[in-house]
Amino acid sequence: MIDQETIVLLLKGVNNVTWQSMFMIGVSFVLMYLAIAKDYEPLLLLPIAAGCMLANLPLSPMIAEDGMLKVLYNMGITNEMFPLLIFVGIGALTDFGPLLENPRLVLLGAAGQFGIFMTLIFALLLGFTPNESASIGIIGAIDGPTSIYVSGILAPHMLGPITVAAYSYMSLVPIILPPIIRLLTSKQERMIRMPYSSRKISRRTRIMFPIVVTVLVGTLVPFATPLIGMLMLGNLMKESGAVERLTKASAAEIANTVTLFLGLAIGSTMVGSEFLKTSTLFILVLGIVAFAVDAAAGVMFAKVLNWLSGGKVNPIIGAAGISAFPMAARVVQRVAQEDDFENFLLMHAMGANAAGQVASVVAGGVLLALMGAGG
Amino acid sequence: MENLEWGLKMTVLGMGLVFSLLGLLWGLLTLVLVLDKEPSVPVSAKEAIAEAERIAAVADDAVGAQVPEPATVNGMPADLVAAIMVATMKHKLTLRRQAAPFMRSYWPGSKMFASRWVATGRVRQNYSWQPRGK
Repeated sequence: MIDQETIVLLLKGVNNVTWQSMFMIGVSFVLMYLAIAKDYEPLLLLPIAAGCMLANLPLSPMIAEDGMLKVLYNMGITNEMFPLLIFVGIGALTDFGPLLENPRLVLLGAAGQFGIFMTLIFALLLGFTPNESASIGIIGAIDGPTSIYVSGILAPHMLGPITVAAYSYMSLVPIILPPIIRLLTSKQERMIRMPYSSRKISRRTRIMFPIVVTVLVGTLVPFATPLIGMLMLGNLMKESGAVERLTKASAAEIANTVTLFLGLAIGSTMVGSEFLKTSTLFILVLGIVAFAVDAAAGVMFAKVLNWLSGGKVNPIIGAAGISAFPMAARVVQRVAQEDDFENFLLMHAMGANAAGQVASVVAGGVLLALMGAGG
Repeated sequence: MENLEWGLKMTVLGMGLVFSLLGLLWGLLTLVLVLDKEPSVPVSAKEAIAEAERIAAVADDAVGAQVPEPATVNGMPADLVAAIMVATMKHKLTLRRQAAPFMRSYWPGSKMFASRWVATGRVRQNYSWQPRGK
């Protein structure tokens, strides 16, 4: 017959089920639903959901000292390697042509980072420490790898909720941006048409761009060097055309593999006992605030540019300065066409959007510098 | 209160630094473009949108760019383009149906009228079923 000890061993898993772990498994199902049925960031949300589920199963060996998820976390999150490798892929897929055609749009990218610092203040007022507040604020970069990089250095214990918030809100760009744009602009402003002029960007300039940006940003904000360096490395490989195999690998195979590892490792941090806190709720709410303030600041700054240029800048392109390339630009174009079907702003919005991509990395580096961390 | 003061200081410093850096980048890029001496030519919105769509399509593959965003065709929502296409085809069919009576040699009901099926059969009757030359 089976003795009492064997029965206890057999039921060890069931005996260790907690309401927190069950709740988190439920959260992982919601994330899976969003990824599979709603198509919200499936590449990242599905591995995160899987990591969350695996980590919350009772006595999960996956998060034990030598468990696979723990090894992945130590391999790429603790030393910030995964987000940086993803940045190489993003650089290899991003064409900064629209920004190079109209460099003044870079200022819209800067304005689109205001939410980071505003949210930092709100988080401080809610009782978070300065490092935690900066990590929450960085959700306003609307840039997944930057959020992971900065929060991984400043507040690693908050990495899970911050990453989930950052990527989930990026998926909600088409839902969050239009009401903010409509609230802050009049119909007349939204109907402003911007003329197009195409400047042929030579290969030399396209190659010089990533080098100039890396040297400039790296010299002035050394804390941003890893982020900007990897982003621009990907872009340099793409624009040089000399290493097509590496470019393709960075944008596809490497990015896909790292995304899977990153998602699983982030998901493994969402253990019920750590995740289910009031602070998580605050992080999710403050993330939305950061996003909204970013978009609002971008639109308001574009209004100033419109006034300075004598009505030649459509203020709604400011909302594309929040990074989230290229979806924010597409949303801006859609909003413009709701009022005037023949108003084509996509190229201008893409310029602001590309500027936001660079600006979010710069803001991340500036934040690290101000907090005296990283490097 | 102390926290608020510190936060405001960080905001002013942070945004100041971000603007200064990107302003510097603006200047440098403008200088590079001036040295490049490539002329700026006006292009149509259609050309610009096609180019922007090409760039966006490449970037759509990046992680963090997957959005349940409705597809577009040259800047127009794909649903709208599909609806226009269906309407155009329907309109074409209607025109064809309306034009049909004018295209007929004989009106239905006349002894000379024959449906396509009957007409084809009559034509076949005019051909010999026997192999040629026999």
